[in-house]
Amino acid sequence: MTAITIDQFSYAYKNNQKVLDNINAVIEEGSFTAVIGPSGAGKTTLCLAIAGAVPHYYGGSLSGNVLVNGMSVRDTTMPDLAQTVGTVLQDYETQLVTMTVEEEVAFSLENIGLDRGQIATCVKEALAKVGLTGFERKEVSALSGGQRQRLVIASVLAANPKILVLDEPTSALDPEGTESIYQLLSDLNKQYSITIVVVEHETAKILPYADQFILINGGKCLQSGYPAKVLTYMWKHKIYTEAIPPLWQLKLTLEDKTGFQFADWKNEDDAASELRKLIQKEASISA
Amino acid sequence: MQKAAPLTKLILTVFVTIWAIMLQSIPALAILIAAQLLILILSKVSAGIYKGVASLFIFAFLLGGLQYVFSNDIILSVVTALKMTAMTLVFAILLATTRMQDLSAALVTQCRVPYEYAFMLTAALRFIPDLLTESKAIQEAQACRGFSPGGNPITRLTSFMAIIKPLVLKSVSRSETMALSLELRGFGSKKNRTFGSNVALEVRDYAMLALMTAITISLILVRF
Repeated sequence: MTAITIDQFSYAYKNNQKVLDNINAVIEEGSFTAVIGPSGAGKTTLCLAIAGAVPHYYGGSLSGNVLVNGMSVRDTTMPDLAQTVGTVLQDYETQLVTMTVEEEVAFSLENIGLDRGQIATCVKEALAKVGLTGFERKEVSALSGGQRQRLVIASVLAANPKILVLDEPTSALDPEGTESIYQLLSDLNKQYSITIVVVEHETAKILPYADQFILINGGKCLQSGYPAKVLTYMWKHKIYTEAIPPLWQLKLTLEDKTGFQFADWKNEDDAASELRKLIQKEASISA
Repeated sequence: MQKAAPLTKLILTVFVTIWAIMLQSIPALAILIAAQLLILILSKVSAGIYKGVASLFIFAFLLGGLQYVFSNDIILSVVTALKMTAMTLVFAILLATTRMQDLSAALVTQCRVPYEYAFMLTAALRFIPDLLTESKAIQEAQACRGFSPGGNPITRLTSFMAIIKPLVLKSVSRSETMALSLELRGFGSKKNRTFGSNVALEVRDYAMLALMTAITISLILVRF
């Protein structure tokens, strides 16, 4: 099943600057997709289009369409889309608008008119999903950066969206916090089959978790598909090569120099294991 | 006091204000203030509240001093200071013993205040710690660039614009993002908004309201 279809989508903000140019992409239900590309490529605008903020909030002109669970974002209001798409903005701190954790998670549910019993149940479930059980009465200002990011995720999860869109969710976090947030997103993806779309310009961070990359540059979608396919494309066409994870730069260089074809390394352990086997094989041949 | 409904506490603030206006003697006003302090102590509020209360007393003292300078009437000055203390102390009780979400729910569902106004109140309070943190960060950044406010108060005030300007610009930018995030979370949806908080009045609240009404009637009878 397809969760999001981006069909020949072009968009310009009110100042007539074209930000997205004929984007075509398909995001499958239950997938973990990373939208990658250099700064100013149009990644955030694409996410805002999935959430409906483009064009409903920003105005501007567009052609083509974005379909979310079969609904056209052009014809669906933002509050209605919010029940299908949960969005976490890059400046997530500003997304926290209430005093306490419990109140924050309940906010979206109160907006859609759920009764008190349902709100209490959903708040409890959402906090449990992100590991913030017991923090209900804590003040938002007393939370750490990582906890605040988890709280924002809980607050959008409370409405039980099928799709979660996050714009650079770890840009303000330390490496430990980053790892923890991506692990959480991966768990939500696997356990609850939530479709995850993440804007990330550091591909190394997202590589172990994503099953699809969408490469955007200059407002155009240059390539989409399995991470290995997109990374190889970036390497071969010398596009945004600085974002290719060091491990993959090593793999692709070795492939270029030796002619070997390695598996799709997701982390250092994969690489070490394959290289060890290769060395042992070579040693046994030469012996 | 935490157990009382927010509406009861809102009505208490109105009644205390009326009592403070009606009472003219120093002992009566002192009793009113003492009663409010006792409520604060019994409510086991945080230490930060007492700091705020101490500031209220200092401000009241200054107000009394000012009144004395202009009227040269010591009784009137003391009464003015005590009235001011009594009227503001009740707001400290209200804010220290009521969760903002409960207050917001009471204002919207029981006082019929539009939700947007109640939300503005909670959002403003929510961002005060963030603004203070941001202001500190800007001060440190400007200090690294040689900013050192000094000289007479007017010069200091003028040089403080180096802190105010970026703070205001950042706040405007923040409000833009906040507006977007509110839209993304269904704020302003046409569906009827509900509240997770239970703010209904209970027997204890009706008893408190009856007591407050009785005190007010007694005061009116005594005074007129």
